[in-house]
Amino acid sequence: MRRVAVAVVMVVAVCLLFWAGWHNLRSRRLAMQQAQQAQVTVQKDSSSDSIPSAITTNLIGKAAPSFTLVDLSGKKVSLADYKGKPVVVNFWATYCGPCQEEMPWFEEFTKKYAAQNLVVLGLNLEDGVTKDAVQKASHRLGVTYPILFADEKVGASYGVGDYLPVTVYVGKDGAVTEQTPGAPSKDEMEAHIRKIAGAM
Amino acid sequence: MQGSGFRAQGPGFRLLALLAVLLCGGVAKSQGIVGLPAASTGKGHVTFAAEVVEVAAGKPVVVELRFHVDEGFHVNSHTPKDDLLIPTVLKLEDAAGVKVVGVEYPKGSAFKLPGNGQILDVYQGEFRVRLQVVVPKGQSSLKGGLRYQACDSAACFPPRTLTVDVPITGK
Repeated sequence: MRRVAVAVVMVVAVCLLFWAGWHNLRSRRLAMQQAQQAQVTVQKDSSSDSIPSAITTNLIGKAAPSFTLVDLSGKKVSLADYKGKPVVVNFWATYCGPCQEEMPWFEEFTKKYAAQNLVVLGLNLEDGVTKDAVQKASHRLGVTYPILFADEKVGASYGVGDYLPVTVYVGKDGAVTEQTPGAPSKDEMEAHIRKIAGAM
Repeated sequence: MQGSGFRAQGPGFRLLALLAVLLCGGVAKSQGIVGLPAASTGKGHVTFAAEVVEVAAGKPVVVELRFHVDEGFHVNSHTPKDDLLIPTVLKLEDAAGVKVVGVEYPKGSAFKLPGNGQILDVYQGEFRVRLQVVVPKGQSSLKGGLRYQACDSAACFPPRTLTVDVPITGK
C-alpha cells in the first residue's frame, strides 16, 4: 500500500514537473516575443549626422560662397561688403555651449586684429529661434560683431550640417583658407586668424 | 523512521527533486520584468532601452525609463544652469487608461567645457527617468518623446525628440 502511495506521489510529481517545464518554456517564448516587440520600439534617431560629416564640402582654396543675410537690426549684410578684408564666418546656435565658449574669443580678436581689418560674422543657424533669443545670447556673450540670420541654403553652401560651431576663414583674396568643425582651442583659432590677417 | 524514508526512495527521487528545484526556479524567473540590453548606438547619440513592464494594476507604481547617451557625448539635464541651454524633457501622450501621476528626473552631473571652464549640468552614460503611473488591468502602453539636445566637448547637435513606447501589462 505504501509503495503504491509513493508511486502515485512520484507520478504526480513527474506530471507536475512536465507541466512546470512546459509552462516555463511557454513563458520564456512569450517573454522573448514581447521582448522582440519591445526591441522594435527601441528608437534611434536616424535623421541626424555624425562628426565625420560635420563639413560636407571642402572649400579650401576656393572662393567663399557669397551670401546676403539680415542682421539683428534688420539690415542686409553681404559677404561682398567686406571684399579685400580677412573674414571669419562663424556658424553658431544659441543652444550650443562650445559656440558660447568661442564667441567671446572672436570678439577679442576683432579688437586685437582691427589694424588688419579683421571682420567676424556670426551666422546663427538654428530652426525656430527667435530674434530675441539670438539678441539675448549675443548680448550676454559680449558680442559686438555682426550677427546674421543664416538659412539652410547658406549653411549648405558652406558644407555645414547640424554639427555646430563651424568656422570658415576667408583670406583677403576671398578664398577659404580653413574650415573648422567644432570649437578649436583659442591658440588654434588665433593661428587661423593670423594666417588670413597676414599677421604671420 | 520518517527521516530515513526519503533515503529509501533512492537516487531517482533525489534526481526528481533536483529537477523540480531547477524547473520551478525557471518558472519564477520568467514572471518578472524582462530587461533588454541597451539599444545599439544611434546617430542621435541617445537611445531608449525599452522594457516589457509588468506591474500591479489599479495602484500607483514606479516605472523607470532607461536612456543611454553615447560615450563622449552629453545632453543637458532637466535643469541646466544656463537658460540658453535646452533641458531634457519627457513628454507623454495621454494614453487611454494609463495615468501618469508623477515624473522624476535624475540629478545631472557637472561637465566642464575645456576652453573657458564653464560648468554645465548634464546627463552622461545611462540615465533613468522615474514615472509614477496607475495602469489598468491588461495591456496598455506609454507613448511619448524625450526632447534633448546633445553635444560633445567641442560641438553640438540640434535638439531632437526620441520616441518612447513602453508596453505595460497591468496584473
